[in-house]
Amino acid sequence: MAQITLSGVKKIYPGGVEAVKGVDLEIAEGEFVVFVGPSGCGKSTLLRMIAGLETVSQGEIRIGDRVVNNVEPADRDIAMVFQNYALYPHMSVRQNLSYGLKNRKMPKEEITRRIDDTARILQITDYLDRKPRALSGGQRQRVAMGRAIVRDPAAFLFDEPLSNLDAKLRLHMRGEIKHLHRRLATTSVYVTHDQLEAMTLADKLVVLNGGRIEQVGKPLDLYRRPASVFVAGFLGAPAMNLLDAHVDGGALHVGDVQILQGVAAQGPVIAGLRPEDVHARVQPGGAFRLEFVEELGGMRLLHGSVEGQRLIIQSPLQAEVGPEMALQIAPEALHLFNVADGMRITNAVRQAPEAADATG
Amino acid sequence: MQTKRMTFRSHWLPYALIAPQLAVTLIFFIWPAAQAIRQSFLREDPFGLSSRFVGLANYTRLLDNPEYLESFRVTVVFSTATAALSMGLALLLALAVDRIIRANQFYTTLVIWPYAVAPAVAGVLWWFMFNPTIGIFTYILEVVGYDWNDRLNSADAMTLVVVAASWKQISYNFLFFVAGLQSIPMSLREAAAIDGAGPVKRFFTVVFPLLSPTTFFLLVVNITYTMFDTFGIVDATTAGGPNRATNILVYKVYQDGFIGLNLGSSAAQSVILMLIVMALTFVQFRWIERRVQY
Repeated sequence: MAQITLSGVKKIYPGGVEAVKGVDLEIAEGEFVVFVGPSGCGKSTLLRMIAGLETVSQGEIRIGDRVVNNVEPADRDIAMVFQNYALYPHMSVRQNLSYGLKNRKMPKEEITRRIDDTARILQITDYLDRKPRALSGGQRQRVAMGRAIVRDPAAFLFDEPLSNLDAKLRLHMRGEIKHLHRRLATTSVYVTHDQLEAMTLADKLVVLNGGRIEQVGKPLDLYRRPASVFVAGFLGAPAMNLLDAHVDGGALHVGDVQILQGVAAQGPVIAGLRPEDVHARVQPGGAFRLEFVEELGGMRLLHGSVEGQRLIIQSPLQAEVGPEMALQIAPEALHLFNVADGMRITNAVRQAPEAADATG
Repeated sequence: MQTKRMTFRSHWLPYALIAPQLAVTLIFFIWPAAQAIRQSFLREDPFGLSSRFVGLANYTRLLDNPEYLESFRVTVVFSTATAALSMGLALLLALAVDRIIRANQFYTTLVIWPYAVAPAVAGVLWWFMFNPTIGIFTYILEVVGYDWNDRLNSADAMTLVVVAASWKQISYNFLFFVAGLQSIPMSLREAAAIDGAGPVKRFFTVVFPLLSPTTFFLLVVNITYTMFDTFGIVDATTAGGPNRATNILVYKVYQDGFIGLNLGSSAAQSVILMLIVMALTFVQFRWIERRVQY
């Protein structure tokens, strides 16, 4: 096990395209770090640089105490789980698991012992002599993880490992990965574009955008205090409502409608409101014009607009719904962002009690 | 798969459309083949004025003839050596092209060129380069102390036809190997790299086994090529000599039939070659369709 340190890491492709534009990050021993971001944000490139599959153009990557910029992937003491699993199709499951160990000249008894242990943990003992093509998607996924676990490396690297599974299996495997990490406590770096996967798995969440880190922190901290409009819009489903607003004399207005009072900012801002933080009650002439309702079973989503700007409200089933509704928003639920650079305006409103405390 | 079915109103149009192809097949393949089969049971008099039915005598004579069996042996050596050399070099070139990023299209194009050269021209080309008197390779070999003479030395002659035949076939093999390599997912090689396999080990334990369908296909195609398409090369370089050292089966058909004018025997040899080709085709369809390996 080891910590991983990235300092000033850049990836510049021939032709001058900068995929990663200077990333500094500390990954502590045993930590589960998730890189999340839209496609093209550089998250996979960053992971592949840690793995040694891409060269580092600038900066330094350390695994443990060692600078690994020029170390071969095989000698970095890492194991990787690929998106398409990358199982060797001509080898049985057992051979797939033992390949990396045999290449490292491990004694036979030790290989057998490790494979048996790993197979038991992942419940793949029954398939050890099958070829990958005779396995289902979920079973292949387990074998791919088994191939990483059996090596007992300093760190696991996951490159969108669940994106080829169907929704139900994905949820199940997400739980298993979490469970495995509890059990093995190996430093893990996990790349995904799925914000839900990122929120649920991460000890530390790294949101990337355009080759840069937007924000790093515990998932709930990021959810509660997003540092920028990008993070605010990326985490959470349905996404945070982002409205063009302006503050005039301490009052927040959207168009001509006053939403809130007691705001310590001035001029045009972007107001962020999570769907679950907005409450609406039926009131003829209210600012919220309902367009349609989405029934999710346990709750419903109200789609509508305020002064022509789209707004989604998460509403409990017992609440009444009408075509015109008035909005109620707690001041601490409001997020304000600069119009110019999209960064969070801190101390603009009375904040919720420190989010970090709440996560425990 | 869904196939779109065309229906024709008139009865004669579909036949008219396939008629040219049928005509070519009939005139240039079926008719000569039938002629060869008929001829192989006949013996002609020395002046070509009459012929009589001799049953299987042409075949039994052939199989008792040490010269013919020697030609078989020469063909096996030639085929094996040519297939091994051309496939080996093609695989090396394909691996090289697979590794380079810049201008690999350019190199690919260059490697494909020899395929466009007619066999006889390729033969003449190599004949010149290895010419005992004026050849550039003969000169180079002499510098390093080897006295090359493909007109007297049967090993030299065999080497020459193998090199010339391989050179032409490398392009074809190369294309298939490049395609085969591209169909192996990059992540498999990356996984092997992380699993601690060096480039050489990676090739032998992951890449080569996954290429085996391509390799097997090429093996059959190459054997077919060396047995039947190399007449031009042999004729232009060694003409089967010296002392029949490069007299492969397909060349012997020509020599006995068109030079020796022993049409019955030549026809029997053609029929045997046809049977070999049918067997190879059968092997190819039988095994390649339901791929041998993983």
